[in-house]
Amino acid sequence: MNLRDLVILVADPSSYMSMLIHSMLRGFGSNKVLEVRNSMGVFHALTAQRIDLLICDARLPLHGGLQLTRAIRSRRDNEHRTIPILMMSADSRESTIKQARDAGANMVIAKPLSPASLYDRLTWIAFNPRKFVDTSTYFGPDRRFKIEGYPGGVGRRKGDNITEVAQESGPALAQDDIDSLFTAVRSGSD
Amino acid sequence: MTKAAKSKTATKAKTAAQADARVFPVETRFQKMAKREGGVPREKAIEQAQNEIEGVKPRFDNWLGDELQEFKRLMKKAEGAKADAEWIKTANFHSRQLRDSAITLNFELLAFISGSLCEILDSIESGSECNMESITCHIESLLLAAQASYRHLKPEQVPDLTNGLHRVVKRVTAQPST
Repeated sequence: MNLRDLVILVADPSSYMSMLIHSMLRGFGSNKVLEVRNSMGVFHALTAQRIDLLICDARLPLHGGLQLTRAIRSRRDNEHRTIPILMMSADSRESTIKQARDAGANMVIAKPLSPASLYDRLTWIAFNPRKFVDTSTYFGPDRRFKIEGYPGGVGRRKGDNITEVAQESGPALAQDDIDSLFTAVRSGSD
Repeated sequence: MTKAAKSKTATKAKTAAQADARVFPVETRFQKMAKREGGVPREKAIEQAQNEIEGVKPRFDNWLGDELQEFKRLMKKAEGAKADAEWIKTANFHSRQLRDSAITLNFELLAFISGSLCEILDSIESGSECNMESITCHIESLLLAAQASYRHLKPEQVPDLTNGLHRVVKRVTAQPST
């Protein structure tokens, strides 16, 4: 994934958490990260310049990340209406995730973040684009989707796509051989 | 309106919304540009991110100091008075910030205590009785865990403290508001 020259806006009320996310993004190769502490800061940034991705806390003051997402998605004259939005939430209950999805967020990531979880969410957004749905009651990414494996085919959980493995090239070890190898290792001999 | 009528109206509205739904593909600039050649492979990106986090770790001390000052200020404000909803909300905001940062930086004891405090404050926000003593003992534990000699400890290394906090959380979360 190439994040160079993409403008990423991190909206988190905590200056230190923001700094941590910023540093993770820098590690991923990002060179244009902006930080804001509240929803007014988000609106200001969105009107002042082009933003390519919004990473937003669900409890962002003043109105909360969900309300902010709804506002971004609902304004027809907003050039950022289809911007990818990654919602961060310390509350990973199913109801919270559904609320974020119904507000129009592309994905939800549980706080605290780890570099691996953040990288994977960004990859999903980048490589698995979803169609947008526009109805009288909803505007946002199609909510009917399922994750069918990590992009690139690296299986990480049961149900993910499996990775390709090499063809069998010779007879496998018998159980007795495996047992004797373990016994030798445990006893410290070769 | 009866429940059945309400459900019928909701189904009608849903059907109407689906009927006029417009579904269209979107390829944002983020999606286009992220696919360019020359990106950082996953393992390397994660390793670099971890190194970057190490780089900002030293600034944690100053930030933690500010957060603890904020807790002290909050405690002073609540002296002799019952904490109101706004107070609980502010305390919860700071304890969440502390928990999230401490987990990311692997300060396990701080993360445990602030997580335990979040549980209490969440429970109070959802209707449990506001027990100031339970909050005070958590904040005092945080002040202790923030000291250099305690900072790198794991919760299991101070079982008296962690078991005590467990009991406090259990008691508070079991009490409905009167």
